[in-house]
Amino acid sequence: MATESSEGEEEGKLTGGSPVLSEDDDLREKGKKASWSVSSWKSGNGVSSLRDDSLETYWQSDGAQPHFVNVHFEKKVKLQLVVLYVDYKLDESYTPSKVSVRAGDGFHSLKEIRSVELVEPTGWVYISLSGNDPRETFVNTFMLQIAVLSNHLNGRDTHVRQIKVYGPRPNPIPCQRFQFTSPEFNTYAFVR
Amino acid sequence: MKKTKTKPQISLLSLSLSLSLSESKMKEEAMEAILRNTVQNSLRHFMYKNAIFFSEFLCAEFPSEANLQLLASCYLQDNRAQCAYHILKGTQMAQSRYLFALSCFQMDLLNEAEAALCPANEPIAEVPNGGAGHYLLGLVYRYTDRRTNAVHHFKQALSLDPLLWTAYEELCILGAAEEAAAVFGEGAAICIQKQYLHHTFASHNSHVSEEDRNLTSSRNLVSAEEVSPRQLKQLSGNNVREVPGSCQGMTTSVRGAGQPPNGVYHLSLYNTPSPIATQFSAAAPPPLCRNLQPNGSNTSTAAADSSPRSTINSTIQAPRRKFVDEGKLRKISGRLFSDSGPRRSTRLAAEAGANAGTNAASVAGNGTNNSSKYLGSSKLSSAAFRSVTVRKVPNWANENFDEGMRNEVFDDCRSNIVSGAGALPSVDNKALDQEGATMPCSGVLLNNSKVLTGTAEILSLLRLFGEGYRLSCMYRCQDALEVYSKLPHKHYNTGWVLSQHLKEGMKLSYLARELISTDRLAPQSWCAIGNCYSLQKDHETALKNFQRAVQLDSKFAYAHTLCAHEYVALEEFENGIRSYQSALRIDSRHYNAWYGLGMVYLRQEKFEFAEHHFRTACRINPSSSIIMSYLGTALHALKRNSEALEMMERAILADRKNPLPMYQKAKILESLESFDEALEVLEELKEYAPRESSVYALMGMIYKRLNMNDKAMLHFGLALDLKPSATDVATIKAAMEKLHLPDELAEDS
Repeated sequence: MATESSEGEEEGKLTGGSPVLSEDDDLREKGKKASWSVSSWKSGNGVSSLRDDSLETYWQSDGAQPHFVNVHFEKKVKLQLVVLYVDYKLDESYTPSKVSVRAGDGFHSLKEIRSVELVEPTGWVYISLSGNDPRETFVNTFMLQIAVLSNHLNGRDTHVRQIKVYGPRPNPIPCQRFQFTSPEFNTYAFVR
Repeated sequence: MKKTKTKPQISLLSLSLSLSLSESKMKEEAMEAILRNTVQNSLRHFMYKNAIFFSEFLCAEFPSEANLQLLASCYLQDNRAQCAYHILKGTQMAQSRYLFALSCFQMDLLNEAEAALCPANEPIAEVPNGGAGHYLLGLVYRYTDRRTNAVHHFKQALSLDPLLWTAYEELCILGAAEEAAAVFGEGAAICIQKQYLHHTFASHNSHVSEEDRNLTSSRNLVSAEEVSPRQLKQLSGNNVREVPGSCQGMTTSVRGAGQPPNGVYHLSLYNTPSPIATQFSAAAPPPLCRNLQPNGSNTSTAAADSSPRSTINSTIQAPRRKFVDEGKLRKISGRLFSDSGPRRSTRLAAEAGANAGTNAASVAGNGTNNSSKYLGSSKLSSAAFRSVTVRKVPNWANENFDEGMRNEVFDDCRSNIVSGAGALPSVDNKALDQEGATMPCSGVLLNNSKVLTGTAEILSLLRLFGEGYRLSCMYRCQDALEVYSKLPHKHYNTGWVLSQHLKEGMKLSYLARELISTDRLAPQSWCAIGNCYSLQKDHETALKNFQRAVQLDSKFAYAHTLCAHEYVALEEFENGIRSYQSALRIDSRHYNAWYGLGMVYLRQEKFEFAEHHFRTACRINPSSSIIMSYLGTALHALKRNSEALEMMERAILADRKNPLPMYQKAKILESLESFDEALEVLEELKEYAPRESSVYALMGMIYKRLNMNDKAMLHFGLALDLKPSATDVATIKAAMEKLHLPDELAEDS
């Protein structure tokens, strides 16, 4: 089940956007082993454009709002961060404005965990899924849904060029609850 | 053109052919000799195209199997085993069969190689080329998974030629080696001495220089893998008929009449010098002897034959210590040579008598060339190596040793002979390095006592190397270390020592850089670099380097394993499994691959598979506490807790410095709710690793279960202070929260 933030929905405005994606060593991109789908799309601009590592291609929706990107995982995963690449300069009225991230076991049990408003973003936009509580650093879930509720300039359809989903790096040592911090332990962790 | 056995060997410059030859015959023989010499010259200068051109020319003009062998050798040198294969197919002479088998081996046509070396329809046929042939056959059997046969042939090889070091290495790897003291002991000494003493009588040579050069270069013609003076003889066109001929020729001249006509008998005494120059770039086959003492009497056959041996003797006689007083050296009648180019050339120039003439100059040039080339392509850390240019026994042995040692870099004590053997296709400059070993010497000085002492010296060193290696193959690394520490200081202080501190990235990268700068063709160099990247967590680049190593030598099991480790680090488990399996196909005793597979299965929670693989790894290497502790982990996952605990105890005993099994033991005890025992273990563990966050975290968890909240809080706090990963911070903090609210329903921890 999704962990809810104790304070209810958080609203935040995000401006700008980084041109370069910086990946934390502690994090792992978890979307590779997931199944991705979208609520609607224009022919030629489907879901694959979201995951092709190309900023030239984009997903374009084709229908009424809200538009959804659904991510199904094989098993429950811990997630911590969602990153979108959107560009107001290129996409103008297609640029998402209000974005809501939901999590849950399935469509019927999705609950919002984060909601942001983008203001003329131009690049990679980081949406953290962590709550304030340290216990809520991660969201442990089967499914994630990124919903575009509205666009800039009241556009109907939306363009998103790339989406990445991150969770914590698994312990390199299997069957270990805690990760090792000391050199004494790490020297003996592996055989080369 | 056939020559009878009694005909003297032709020397190019002194065309002193038997007067009974007719004019035209003389012309033909001269032509053939010139052509052969051209080929050999070209080879010596690595001008393969030229060599091949003239070999083909030679074969067209003077079709003979010996010339065919020469051509094939050129192809092999130029890394064109398939050409050699085609021209030698169907030949029957021993040397041809040997070269053919070698070509097949390089082309991975193991069945054909086997058939050539021991034809199915001639079960009692002698394996060509004695020790070298048996060694090659052993390799064929090894790669076709017939371990018993492989072992048999390696042992044969060793008994025929105790200086076949790599045969001993193979035996170690296959786990079938006897103690080095036995193998390199009395029997070996006698065998070697016999071989050399034959030649002390025949040490008087004339025309040696030219022949030597022929021999030197013809030595290079032979496959990178092996060299034998016998082969040299054949290649120099001296002996068209069969291997024994040369030997016999020599003994004939030595002993006079009464020799058994059939040279086969002598084969066993014929010394096949250590063949594996390729694997150990410095391990030179017996450098050729240059007899600077012109002596009218001799037969050139004697000369040719004796030269290699005499040289070895002279090598042996050189004092063992690294910085042999050069003064002493020179003093020893100026006959003993060190390998350093300038000195040799000086000496040569000075002493070259009538014979030397141009030869000296060219040889000197060669010498200089070669020694520098030698240095350059040595695989040793150049620093260590530069200090030793002397081609004395210790040096040679040293390089052997270092090769073995370097392999230790990559796996604790598991050298990969395959790398050497498998490196055949990459035509090693190493083969050509043999040139560098050309050491003139005088046969005159050789006598019984010197052979004895020389042999004794070599063997005593070999005993050390051999025993050390054998132990290391059995993963009795501590014992191996002790043995190696008895080696002379210089040997010890090489790249191997640096490699011991694997986790010290800087030293490793130094080693890697040295290796690459000295030998780009060696898969080991790339592995070293890959390891550097891996240490820095750049797994993609590390993987690329290991893949390059695999390209250079697909039979290098360890390179496959290293690739697999990187795949796993990148979480590409399928590729990882595939690579581990490749490694195991090459070497089923490669315990790291077994261990690697176990780790993957652990991660995938396939605990039975994991257990099986760890157990196999353990059986192969019973001294690895790491593997034992993972086996214990698998057992614990399978809920076989008593077995798991037992395994952890064994792991702890195996290596007191390894904290992991203690930690695992505590975890198991906790799961069995033996909280007090678990805490006891952890308290002790704190002594070993006072800054390990997970120890405190686990203790906090246990105190929590005991409802000793204050202690729990304390330990959680300590755990957090030690900066664990974000995930662990979350877990620990969550646990701390729960401490405050004992009344809340338990959440999923």
